[in-house]
Amino acid sequence: MTSYLARRAGIVLVSLFGASVAVFAVLAVLPGSPAQVILGTQATPQAVRQLSAQIGTNKPLWDQYLHWVHGLLIGQLGQSYISHQPIGPQIAQALTVTGPLILLALAVGTLVALPLGLGGALHNGKLTGALLGGLSQVGIAVPSFVGGIVLIIIFGVKLRLLPSSGFPGWSEPGQALRSLVLPAATLGLVEGAILSRYVRASVLDQLRSDYLRTARSKGLSRARALWRHGLRNAMVPLVTVLGLELAALIVGAIVVENVFSLPGVGQLLLNAVGNRDLLVVQDIVMLLAAVVLVINLVVDLSYRLLDPRVRD
Amino acid sequence: MAAKAAMAVAGTAMLAAATVAGTAGAASATAASGATLVVASSVFPPTLDPTANAAAAIDEVFEYNVYQNLVELDPKGQVVPVLATKYTVAPNGLRYSFEVRRGVHFSNGDLMTPADVVYSLKRAANPKDNYPYGVLLQDLSSVAASGDKVVVTLAHPDNQFLYDLAAYSNGVVLDPKTVSTLATKPVGTGPYEFASEVTNYSITLKRNPYYWGKAPGVSEVEFRYFSNANSEIEALKTGQVQVIDNLSNPQDAKQFQGGGFKLISGPTNGKIQVTINNSYGPLANVKVRQALQYATDKQAILDAAGGGYGRVIASDDVPGDPWYMPNVNRTYAYNPAKAKKLLAEAGYPHGFSLVLTLPPYNYALTAGPLVQADLEAVGVKVAIKDIQWPLWLTQVFSKHDYQLTIVDHVEARDISEYGDCTYYWVFAGCKTVAAMLAQAQAAKTLAGEVAGYQAVVKLINKEAVNDWLYNPDQLTAAKSDVVGLPGSGLTESFDLSHVSVGGRLASSLAAEGYSP
Repeated sequence: MTSYLARRAGIVLVSLFGASVAVFAVLAVLPGSPAQVILGTQATPQAVRQLSAQIGTNKPLWDQYLHWVHGLLIGQLGQSYISHQPIGPQIAQALTVTGPLILLALAVGTLVALPLGLGGALHNGKLTGALLGGLSQVGIAVPSFVGGIVLIIIFGVKLRLLPSSGFPGWSEPGQALRSLVLPAATLGLVEGAILSRYVRASVLDQLRSDYLRTARSKGLSRARALWRHGLRNAMVPLVTVLGLELAALIVGAIVVENVFSLPGVGQLLLNAVGNRDLLVVQDIVMLLAAVVLVINLVVDLSYRLLDPRVRD
Repeated sequence: MAAKAAMAVAGTAMLAAATVAGTAGAASATAASGATLVVASSVFPPTLDPTANAAAAIDEVFEYNVYQNLVELDPKGQVVPVLATKYTVAPNGLRYSFEVRRGVHFSNGDLMTPADVVYSLKRAANPKDNYPYGVLLQDLSSVAASGDKVVVTLAHPDNQFLYDLAAYSNGVVLDPKTVSTLATKPVGTGPYEFASEVTNYSITLKRNPYYWGKAPGVSEVEFRYFSNANSEIEALKTGQVQVIDNLSNPQDAKQFQGGGFKLISGPTNGKIQVTINNSYGPLANVKVRQALQYATDKQAILDAAGGGYGRVIASDDVPGDPWYMPNVNRTYAYNPAKAKKLLAEAGYPHGFSLVLTLPPYNYALTAGPLVQADLEAVGVKVAIKDIQWPLWLTQVFSKHDYQLTIVDHVEARDISEYGDCTYYWVFAGCKTVAAMLAQAQAAKTLAGEVAGYQAVVKLINKEAVNDWLYNPDQLTAAKSDVVGLPGSGLTESFDLSHVSVGGRLASSLAAEGYSP
């Protein structure tokens, strides 16, 4: 087990290194000079050169890369040369919006996927099953920004039940949660629809398996047999998908934060790209890479809990 | 809501304390109410420091509201004394003497002195400080304080000096002790002080307890940023905000005329134009450039891209300019037949092909295809290329690697760019214009100055340096009880010095262009 863990941790570190090189390389070839963006249309070429020298964007790339990675290793995310503010607290602040948003969306997604998928599997071949399947297809087909706008029109504008945009901050927890309901639903419904397809397929697989037929022959009903013996087996592929979908949720949050004007990580990233605030972009992308790698690690480890056969 | 009300009460208490201490006018406390004004806007400032970045979003919040200049612009675009009580200009046009207002405090309590003014102007003029608008002060030869006066000497006479000092953040007066923290804790002498920010979401200002003038009619202003135009509009309709500073989409304006709302429209300094690379092949020929002018249906473009709010232009010539000539803007009336004739005369009877590069702004994306269709109707094939703004700045603006582009030149009185031979439209007559501008800037009388600039406006119109489209209006939508909002977009600042909710605006302020 320890050697397994060490090996897995090693893979995570190598992946992070690869991600850092990739992120840096992509941004290095991204056209558009940060100094030019700062100085705007009044800038003289001389002023642009001078500012580039001051913020260090004219240094050799390897120098800039080492400087950045060194900072990351000692826990310094650096200071933005656009906002002149430390980047760490900016990301931390944005995470207080995006973190809860993604967790809520995951909860919504799971709550939608389980009944939809289970129902679809148990009623396979009947009209109810086909209807549930159709419902999930619709959920997958509608892009999240369209779904978001529809939810805003219904609950924000017509019924005025929930705020349609913005985020008041956690000093007012009730209000904060209320403003996350529509964005989380937007994000979660789509994920739920996708996830429900996997739930349905996975459960159907188990329903058709030999051991479940044996359980039925002992006299258990289909639902009871599934509950007792099938679900745990059905969970193994689902956990993998859940891990992948969590990464997809992080990406989806960028779109949904834009639709709902939420000051989260997605908005921070989007504005940083627009302002050529490259250090902020690098830091956020590395953070997202680290989160995805850790999720995958946790997924791999959870197999070992769910399925004794993987343990050795 | 409870927290906000408490903050408003605290704001009033602080103001009362300041009044007792004698730093604020006694009358202001009675006029002031406890309301919070929430203003919806679309672009979050990339930094809070207006002296470090040219983005208009910074000046919109901080100029005139938090920071003040010796002289400022009122919403009609006139220069008015603010931190200077008065000023005199020597007859040779080289020496400006400002009487610095006494008893002005920064929002941290420090007294503002003539030495602070000298420090601020020298800092802005120093090329090492990378002031985005520092170039406007390049003719400064000396700045010195003597008693309550600050004397500025220029190397050449410049009739635009006061305007440039008033219009942009190069004129702000800073507390020298706070310059290292401008990006996190802005401190100025204005009616508001900076209270807090949430990145990409909001910036909150509250009344400056040390303000020397009449306190604004609201205790707190929150600028709240919306990443899309629809949520901004819903927020105003549902009462989450009381004002939208400038509607991103002019088509949304009509719904705010009446019904508990009001629409305030007034000119900006903007010139939305098809910029022509005068050094590119056929575009170097003046007849071709004139043909482009005749070929574009500017009114139709104004109606589609600007919702009809604004005016068609045919030169760098807008109502905020003292030398404004509406008759020049009536030239090049839409005439595709004439355009075809000019193209034939220039040797292109069968037209040619061009690339139109568009930055990602609504007006450009809407106007682009219309310009494309207009030009194709006279035989000029146009391919559209969309690019990001940072790329536009590098490729189009710095490297002049383009043929046509559409952009809003928002800077006021920027006609001097036509005398800059390195500027991105690469106008061959730049040297002639530079000489004419120098003459106009040194003119001894206002009439002489205006005539000098008018000659430039006419020359670039005749040369058809660019295909100017229209001067857009700023469209402010607000609840009908909000008074004292700026009545135009002629200042970079969204000037909230005189705003109140449910109050009445003094007629003197209405005369300066604040909206009643």
